[in-house]
This record gives sequence, structure tokens and C-alpha cells, in this order.
Amino acid sequence: MERILRVENLSKDFSGLSVLSGINLEILRGERHAIIGPNGAGKSTLFNTISGLYKPSHGKIFFLDKNITGWPIHKIVRLGLSRSFQIINIFPKMSLFENVQNAIVSRFNQRFNWNSLLDRNGKIKRESERVIELLNLGEFRNVPASELSYGGQRKLELALTVALDPVLIMLDEPTAGLNTEETRNAIQLIRKVTEGKTLIIVEHDMEVVFNLADRITVISYGSILATGTPDEIRENSEVKRAYLQRIPNASSG
Amino acid sequence: MSPLIDIYLMQAIHGLTYGLLLFLVASGFTLVFGLMNVLNIAHAAFYMLGAYLAYTITLHMNNFWLSFLITPPAVGVLGVLIERGLLRKAHKSGHMAEFLLTFGLFFILCQLVIIQWGSVPLPVSGPALFSGKISLMGTSYPMYRLFMLGFSLAVLLVMVLVLVRTRIGMLIRAAVSDSDMVDALGTNVPFLFMVVFGAGAALAGLAGVIAAPFNSAYPSMGLDMLLDCFVIVVIGGFGSLWGALIASLMIGELQSFGVLWVPRFAIVFQFLLMAIVLIIRPSGLFGEKE
Amino acid sequence: MISYWNWPKVLGVGIGILLLFFPKMLSETHINLSIEIFIFALYAVSFNLLWGYGGMLPFGHGALFGVGAYTAGLIFNHIPHMHLLLTLLMAALSGLVSAMVIGFFCVRLKGAYFALLSLAFQMFLFALAWKWRDVTRGDDGMGIVRPSLHLPGLGSISMMNINNLYYFTLIIIVLGILACYLFLRTPLGNSVVCMRENELRASFLGYRPFMTKFTVFSFSGIFAAIAGALFVLFTEFMGTNSIDINMSMAAIFMVLIGGAGHFLGPVLGAAFYTAFQDWISSLTKHWWLIMGIFFIVVILYLQGGLISLLQSERIRFWLGGQNKSANGKNTESRKPV
Repeated sequence: MERILRVENLSKDFSGLSVLSGINLEILRGERHAIIGPNGAGKSTLFNTISGLYKPSHGKIFFLDKNITGWPIHKIVRLGLSRSFQIINIFPKMSLFENVQNAIVSRFNQRFNWNSLLDRNGKIKRESERVIELLNLGEFRNVPASELSYGGQRKLELALTVALDPVLIMLDEPTAGLNTEETRNAIQLIRKVTEGKTLIIVEHDMEVVFNLADRITVISYGSILATGTPDEIRENSEVKRAYLQRIPNASSG
Repeated sequence: MSPLIDIYLMQAIHGLTYGLLLFLVASGFTLVFGLMNVLNIAHAAFYMLGAYLAYTITLHMNNFWLSFLITPPAVGVLGVLIERGLLRKAHKSGHMAEFLLTFGLFFILCQLVIIQWGSVPLPVSGPALFSGKISLMGTSYPMYRLFMLGFSLAVLLVMVLVLVRTRIGMLIRAAVSDSDMVDALGTNVPFLFMVVFGAGAALAGLAGVIAAPFNSAYPSMGLDMLLDCFVIVVIGGFGSLWGALIASLMIGELQSFGVLWVPRFAIVFQFLLMAIVLIIRPSGLFGEKE
Repeated sequence: MISYWNWPKVLGVGIGILLLFFPKMLSETHINLSIEIFIFALYAVSFNLLWGYGGMLPFGHGALFGVGAYTAGLIFNHIPHMHLLLTLLMAALSGLVSAMVIGFFCVRLKGAYFALLSLAFQMFLFALAWKWRDVTRGDDGMGIVRPSLHLPGLGSISMMNINNLYYFTLIIIVLGILACYLFLRTPLGNSVVCMRENELRASFLGYRPFMTKFTVFSFSGIFAAIAGALFVLFTEFMGTNSIDINMSMAAIFMVLIGGAGHFLGPVLGAAFYTAFQDWISSLTKHWWLIMGIFFIVVILYLQGGLISLLQSERIRFWLGGQNKSANGKNTESRKPV
């Protein structure tokens, strides 16, 4: 099985405080991999370091067999990595359509196109519409993003992430703040839009995790406690000890 | 001692004097930024007002010392009025609005000065007590400059004492690091802002008074000081008092020797220095806060 | 009643026609004023590319205006037979190159640092212009003679004739403003706005912050320089007034008062600034004071600038009609700032 992402002995300190240490991780093509752990374990930092927002203090990151350690964010993104944010990060004053359009412009490599009018670009428009329809956001296409409901903004966040048609999708707590029904819908939606892609998802909601994930990695205090299938993780005593949260049985969820 | 060393020493003392003067103004500038996150462009205008008020008071009351007593509080009160009346209003509209407001205020104050006092530089006669020259290391050095040096050092000392030893000084230092925290601990933050802003203005005004007999009061002194303050705060770091002190002394010496060595291009060097610092280390040589 | 979706277009056409007929209708003084407004309109629009659309506020934009001014001035003086359009092109190029150099250093910085570093560059150029008397004649400046415009088929058009100068300036300015407008409607222009709206998100969509901001900064320099060149042509004088801090301040004033939130806001601001300055200077020599007070009033009470008055609900109500744009699309969302 092809390794999409390989993290080798990754560490990250902030002014002497070690947030991640000795992280080794392999993500295989097509898998849905969840990263869980207590608050403050370093999950978001791991995401931020892999996606290029932070430079690692030690270690290497390989994406599609290329050493992307220290690469600028846009270069990593263009290689095929796309992520969402835990705190909603959209273009607030632009409409939902324009938000998605921004992603499509980048995907079609038109960011620096100076000799055509954006409004006249049928190809970009059509693809933006397609993504919007894929996420069932059609009726909101002209609403300024800041005026969408929280659930709508979460969906937009997801839309922006998948609109790039990336190889690897990284979602950082995509269901944060959603109620039970919204979360159930979100799981379906995530499954739908990540069809055929590789997914890494950071989550607190165990129902989401055990519904979506093929494999799970547990992080605690900046290091990996365990990696394995959901069943393996469920049985792992160290995880149980560290994580003090009720993990649903195979029969539920 | 050889005459060359004498000249250098003289320039060095002069640079020290000017640097301390700059610090009196720059300290308020950087403190207000560190505390309130506002880059108060109008701050340099307080310096200018101080000098002009000193002119008027000295002229009409024939007593230079009175301007010491009257001007700093007057300028401080003006500062407080500006902070409470205008700045707070603009604060609601965001940093940009605050910033631009201080910009507009600066220009208005410069214009008001020209309207009231005209565009011609006005000499201010210093105190009779220090009007002579004193024999220093073989040359005669104006006594007033020594007074400037001594007085600035004294003010600096008082500042340090206030910041380190008094409760309000502690609050100020804490608030510069983390104003939210100080607020959460129950301190009246708006009041603190008002005090610091007013004190900074008063200090700048005081600096203006001190500088007046030496520099005269001239209409572009606000702009000159503004540019100097920018350079100081960029080099020393926004919000850092230590940085401001060291940078002020650096700039003081640089100007002093720059005028000596390359009189035509002294101003160029200052901006070159600022540009270099901004390019290499955007947060200044000492500051952390942005 | 004119329905709402129609009135900007009607007004636009109306103003366009008026502009064409101004020389016939107005006195020479007013024609001069109009030319000055045109020049500053382009300058202000170029500035708003950076501020309103790009989210960057430079304090030293006057540097680019001044570079164009001095390039044109020196050419007018030393190479008087150079074709006028070629001179403008040289000025534009000088603006581009200067902006690229300045932008390379400034664009990586944000906020106050960006503003101040651009100011540092400007003050450096100002000091250069002031001290390098051999070339620039320092603060005395240099008078220039307006060259004629040679066009194939039309012969030699003298720029000493104020009507000719009026139309020439009008055409160049309209072309310049149009270029800026079209720029903003390209995907590149959209990238610029993305940077302002959410640089982090844009990076994670594959946009390149430095390159994008560098590009718009350089582009803006072209038009500031062209405005500067026309300024020298118009005033027949090349001096430090075209590169000093007041010129940078003027840009900020114009865009703030006119309104950074609409493409034409700066044009309105330029018109106001220039006309107001002209009017107030005849009453009192302290027009900067009045402008300053105005500036403060706008900051405190009219954040959107004068143009926001035109967009207000009340005006729409007065003109009647629905609050819908021509093609039904929500055009509010891609406003700057």
C-alpha cells in the first residue's frame, strides 16, 4: 500500500516548551485516519506542523515521497495537501460562492492570471457551483460568509478544503460545536466528499471517530501512545488509562 | 589630551544629552503603544507644544522656570482630553481608525502652532542661571547643555523609580505585558490608560521645554521629533522601554557624530538605519511585542 | 423617478459627457482645477489598490509619485525632444522599478512596520532629491517646458494650450483608472483581495502572500508614477513638493475622505481634496488645519468616507426603485475593506 504521508521523528518546541516529541506516523493511500487524544496533547500542533504553518524543531515530513520539511505553505498545498481549521477560517465578507471560487481559482492555477476577467470564466464558475452543490449549500450561494449559520460556516470550511481536489485532506475537529443531528449529517457528508481521497481527521467526538476511521492514532502529551485499528485502540489499556473517556463499543455508533 | 579626543568627547556628551532628551519623548510613545496598542502620532506634537508654550511663558512672564511648572501639566491635561474625548471614540472603530485619528491630530496641532506662532523659528531664552559657559576639558561648554543632561538624567531616574518601586509603576509594567490580565484582576484599565497617556504627554512637553532654549521653537520640530521617535521605536522595539532608552542614545550619538562627519547626509543615515533594522529584524533589536 | 439599478450608470454617462464638454463650459481656472483633480484621482486610485483592496497602508506612497515626477521632469529638461508618450512610459517604468525595489522589502512586513518602512524609503528618496542639487536642483526645483504631443495624422499638438492638456490628461487618467479597475476584476485582482480578507486561509488554498502583495504593490507604483509625471507636466515644475511627506499624506487623506470601500471612492476624495484645497486656500492659508479637522470628523463619524453617503439607504429611498443590481447578483460582497 502506498504511503501518502510519512512523519519521521517529528518534534516541535515553543520557546523551550516541548509540544510534540518523537512523532512517527505513516498514512496510507485511501485510508481514513483519526488522531485523538486529550486536550492539549498536541493534535492541532501536529496538523499545523505537517501542513507547514510551523517549522518542525526536529524530524522530517514526507508527502508523496517528497521531503516537505520546511516548505512554505502554498507549496505544500499545491502538492496536494489541504486542511480545514478548528476555528472557522473563511473569507468573511465574500459570498459563499466567492469563497469557493477562491479555492477553484487556485486549483486551476489561475491565481496570477491577469489577462482575463474572473467573472467571465465559465470553467471556474461551473466547478465552483459543482462543489457548492456537492455540499448542499446551493441556496446560500450569495450570502456573505459571515452571515451564514454556524453549521453553514462549518460546511463552507469543509467545502474550501475539498474544493482543491487534494490528495490528502486533513480536517481539524470538523464537528466542533455541532449538535448531535448536525454531527450525524456531518459524518455522512465527510464520507461523501472524501470518497477516494486520503483523510486525516482530528476529533474529540468518539462517535465520529469510530464511525469514520480505518485506523486511529492516540496522542498524549506530545507523543504517540498507540496506533491501530479501532478495535485495537479500544482494547489498549494504556489508551484507556490516559484517555479516561468512554469509548463506544462495537455494537453502538 | 589631544584636541581630537576633546572634540569627540564633546560630541559624545552632546549625543548623550540629545539622546536622553529623545528618550523623554520616545518613552511615552513606546509605552502608550505597549499599553494601548495605539501608535500615537500626535505624541511628537506634545513635544512641539511644550517648546512653544515655553516660549510664550518665558516671553510674557520673564521667567524660564515657570514654564517648567506650567507646561508639562498643561500638555498632560491636553493629552488626557485627547485620550478621553477623541481616542476612545475612535477605539470603537478599530486600530486603524485610532491610528489615523492620531495622524490627523498631529497635523492639526502642527497647523495650530503655525497659526498661533507663525512659521519663523522663535528663540527661547534660557534661565539666567545657566546662561554662561563652563570650562570643560579645555574647551568652554555651554552650561545650559550640562543642565539639560543633568535634568534629563534626574527625570530618567524618577521614571525608573516610579516604574520599579511604586504600585502604579508595577501596574503599568504588568499591563504592558498583558492588559487583559490586569483588567481581569480588577484594575481600572481605562483609568490607567488615561494616566499613562497624560504622563507621556507631560513628559514630552517637559522635553520640549528643556529643548527650547537650545533648539528654538520651530514649526517642523514636531515632524522631526516624530521621525526620530519612529526610528527609535523601530530599533528599540515597540513597547520596550529599555529598547527605547538604548535606541535613543544610539540615535543621539549617531546624529551628533553624523552631523560632525557627514553633515549633508545625516538624515539619510538615520533612515537607512531604520530601514536596515526593519528589514533584518522587524520586531526591533529588543522588543517582542508587535 | 430613476430606478436604483439605473442611476449609477446614468450618472456615470452624465458625468462623462460633462467632462468632455468642460473646456467649452469652464473658465481657465476651473479647467486647471479639473486637470489637477484628474491627476490626483489616478494617484488616489493607485493608492487604494494597496489600502482598500490589498489591505496594506503605506506611509510612503508619495515616493512613487515623486519618482515618476522626477523622471518626467529630468527628461523634459534634458531630452526635450523625446516623445511625450515615451516620457510617460519612462516615468511608468521608473515607478514600476522603484515599487519593485521598495515593495520587495516592505511587503513582507505588516501594519505599522510596513507603513514605516515605506516611509523610510520615501524620506530617503526625498533626502536624495533635496541634497543632490546637481541633478535635481534641490528644494529650488526646476521649471520645465511642456513638450508638444506628436501624433501621426494629427501633427503636433501643443500642450501649452490648456484645452489640449485637459483632453490629454483626461484620456491618460481614464485609461489608467480603467487599467486599475480591470486589474481588480482579473483572478490576480481577486487574489489580492483574498490576501486582505484572510491571508492564512488564502495560503492554505495555495495562494502566495508575498508574490501577490509584491505584484499589486509594483502595479500600483506604475500609476502613481504616471500621475507624478502628469503633475510635472501640468505644473511646469519639478521639485521636492512631489516627493515629500505631504504627498504621501495627501493620498491617505483623499482615500479616507472619499472612501476606501468603493472603487470610485478615491476619485471622489481626490475631487474633494483638490477642490476644497483650492477654495479654502483663497480664504485662509491654513487649509491643512481645516482638512485635518475634516479628516478627524470622517474618521469618527463617517468611516466609509463620502462615498458611503451616496450608498446610504436614504439616498436610495429618495431616488426610488429596488435595492437590486443590474444582473441580480449580490455585488456588495466583493467590496474592498
